[in-house]
Amino acid sequence: MSTTLSYTLVITGAPWASQAPQTALAFARAAIAGGHRLDRVFLYGEGVHLASSLCAPPSDEPHWPQQWSDFLSDNQIPAVACVASALRRGLVDEREQNRYQLPAHNLRNPFEIAGLGEWVDGTLKSDRVMYFHGSA
Amino acid sequence: MTTLIVIDQAPYGSWAGREALDMVFSLAAFDQPAALLFTGVGVNWLRTAQSAKGVGQKTVEKNLSAAPLFGVEKIFAEQEACERFMPDTSSRLAGIDLVASVKNLMTQYDHVVFAG
Amino acid sequence: MNQIPDTGTLHILNKAPGHPRFVACLAAMSNQDTLILIENAVLALPDTDTVLPRQTLALEPDLEARGLSGTAEPGQQISHQQLVQLTEQHPRIISW
Repeated sequence: MSTTLSYTLVITGAPWASQAPQTALAFARAAIAGGHRLDRVFLYGEGVHLASSLCAPPSDEPHWPQQWSDFLSDNQIPAVACVASALRRGLVDEREQNRYQLPAHNLRNPFEIAGLGEWVDGTLKSDRVMYFHGSA
Repeated sequence: MTTLIVIDQAPYGSWAGREALDMVFSLAAFDQPAALLFTGVGVNWLRTAQSAKGVGQKTVEKNLSAAPLFGVEKIFAEQEACERFMPDTSSRLAGIDLVASVKNLMTQYDHVVFAG
Repeated sequence: MNQIPDTGTLHILNKAPGHPRFVACLAAMSNQDTLILIENAVLALPDTDTVLPRQTLALEPDLEARGLSGTAEPGQQISHQQLVQLTEQHPRIISW
């Protein structure tokens, strides 16, 4: 027997620079399979690179951003990239593109850009907050 | 719910420590009890007379001294690491609580969080 | 400031032996705590220089990827499913 818990997942390790997005995805799938709820996925620091729509790995290699997008959409899980982390690292949605008059936007669907308040909210409302860091 | 944000990375070499500071300020802004702990090479954030202009960055001393005003409850530092990197106590920022046991301090918080 | 739950703390470690945070994690563990080695941290199992806590588990896919399945004792390898179950049982979790 087990009870249903709610989780917030925080990913701070970038794809290809770390295993964090893969480990987090395997954990997320297992949590859903175990009957739990994911309140939110929050990308922080280097983790925001996962939300880039411009990653194009060779076709015979895994595509972590694509896999995450599919998983989030299929399970209707909100996903947020921290705005401060994202803007520094060149990750912007259309609104930020317009605000800073940048030549393009590259935020992958269904990710959204928001502040650290979303993380604070997770620490208050979710039963568990799991962190997935880089290992360097 | 109490949170301890841990900074164990050296200053200026990456943005990780600053992003950890943002987390603790964010908790404080939402009136959530939060404290900072500097360990290992991370204690070098707490040195006086930092001047980062030459590396094109802003020094963090001011951010840190403002922490209590913003509602960050405590700033802790690992005693052993301070003695290793800053044996001269005059080279340490004021207002830091030295902790002999990181392990004991961590058990006093609901959440212990690294920023990256 | 709260009381630690009876189940102890779940320490999830992904750094290789020798990494400062690997060392710090082991130093922060209490008797009732559980250590879970994931990613690069599973290299602690074959490492002859590392003394691991009594309650140490390791993530199976990370062991297998690195050719280390044979280094784990029976019952020491856990799946992602079991990792989730451990997080159910432990309200207090630290990711190192």
